[in-house]
Amino acid sequence: MSLLIQTILNGLLVGGLFVTLSIGFSLSFGVLDVVDFAVGEWVMLGAFAGVASTTWLRIDPIAFLPVVFVFFAVVGWLVAPLIYRVRNSRNARPALMALAFTFGLATLARGGMLTAVGFDPRTVKIGVVQGTVTLGAVEIPTLRLAGFAFAAVATGLFMLFLYRTRTGLAVRAVAQNKEIAGLMGVDVKRTSNFVYSLYAGLTSMAGVLIGGIYSITAQDGPTYTLMAFFVVVLAGLGSVGGVLVAGLVLGVLESLVTVYVSADFTLAIVFGILFLVLVISPRGILRRGTA
Amino acid sequence: MSVLEVRDLRRSFGGIEAVAGVSFALEEAEILGVIGPNGSGKSTVFNLLTGVVAPSSGDIRLRGKSIAGRKPYRIARAGIGRTFQIPALFTNMTVQGNLYAAIVEGDWKHAPERAAQVLELMNLTPVRDELASSLSGGQQRLLEFGRVLMRDPDVILLDEVAAGVHPTLRATILGAVSELQSQGKSFVVIEHDMELVRAICQRVLVMDAGQVVAEGSFEQIASDKGVVEAYLGVPVE
Repeated sequence: MSLLIQTILNGLLVGGLFVTLSIGFSLSFGVLDVVDFAVGEWVMLGAFAGVASTTWLRIDPIAFLPVVFVFFAVVGWLVAPLIYRVRNSRNARPALMALAFTFGLATLARGGMLTAVGFDPRTVKIGVVQGTVTLGAVEIPTLRLAGFAFAAVATGLFMLFLYRTRTGLAVRAVAQNKEIAGLMGVDVKRTSNFVYSLYAGLTSMAGVLIGGIYSITAQDGPTYTLMAFFVVVLAGLGSVGGVLVAGLVLGVLESLVTVYVSADFTLAIVFGILFLVLVISPRGILRRGTA
Repeated sequence: MSVLEVRDLRRSFGGIEAVAGVSFALEEAEILGVIGPNGSGKSTVFNLLTGVVAPSSGDIRLRGKSIAGRKPYRIARAGIGRTFQIPALFTNMTVQGNLYAAIVEGDWKHAPERAAQVLELMNLTPVRDELASSLSGGQQRLLEFGRVLMRDPDVILLDEVAAGVHPTLRATILGAVSELQSQGKSFVVIEHDMELVRAICQRVLVMDAGQVVAEGSFEQIASDKGVVEAYLGVPVE
């Protein structure tokens, strides 16, 4: 019984990070109308930034998180206009071209990192949070607890921004209806760039902590892209609220499958369940997404 | 100087000229009606005026400054607001959220007071915390009109704003138009309801096949043979 509780708790803690890496992805889908295939690459790049902070700069990755956020937000700010341009071009099938474009970005990031660091797995060595916390019969790795705390704070701030600020309202307006938001005076292109920038920074920060909990290689991006897909589709496309539930569900599922079945079957079982959920509820678990 | 001036406005879609040389001027505190059969180019003119579609040629001047081909958000900020034939609301937001969303790039500081005024004017105060999607069709039209007013535009474009609306709500809409006109706002109104056009419009443009085929007071255009032909689609003896 304690193993089950331990497994579920571990899953919930990691699920918090899945929420963080998916929430910006979900919003950028809503605002840019593009499924960003590079989401996993932002995680991977963030994790390697964490590795670099300890090996080159001798700075603890937790203290380095703000630098990671700013750096990748700037990179996102530079990339976003290109995605916007492709997505809103007058050429045939801009939606498909934008998908191909983000796929190209992902390939470029993965290829570049494979060339730079090779295939070897690395771990982000987070020194300030080590050991475990014991709660009765359950032992919680402090790092996972810290990861969850980070995820809760980051997601909380993100939701506050979205639902309690003027810019957040503009973002939600663009996500709901770009044409009408434009007619209300909202600069849709600038808002899209801002959201993508925020998403890139947030996801890369989550990558640092994911790289501390698991090991990371330069070719791990697609795995996290699939995770983000799972969360966003289970949540219902475009439903930011649903991401909170779906991310935790993914964390628990992944944890249960790894402990009770095998880590080799995680993706197969997780996506099998996703398939069943979508057959029953195409608009996601909270029935709030776009079918 | 006219508030809005449109000169030889043209727009083609794949060889079909949807708007073929439309010109008109809108004066301060004037309500200009635009009528014409379906497909005559009325809504395309609204799309051109608001930047949703860029003109192929011609000019649009708002208080003397050219706005033709500008992005919709720039035109909105310059002072033109519009409603749609089918209300286009932020359906997942509350009534109040819709009003606030209209002013995120405007006078945000006074948004609460402005929203309270608009809710009062449109009789929407009791439903301000309801989701926009839960409103009746008529209330949705009121909300869309109210959302336009949040930005306090000089020129308001109304696309069949009273279509299918309960008489009580229709009276609210017409009352609001009249009050705003007395404050100096100018309107261009696309309408199929001739009683409404007769009641509120000082001048009427009749469009057919992308062109203005008649212009004048309601009485003048009602007795115009060309107008009747355009509507019926057959020559009048």
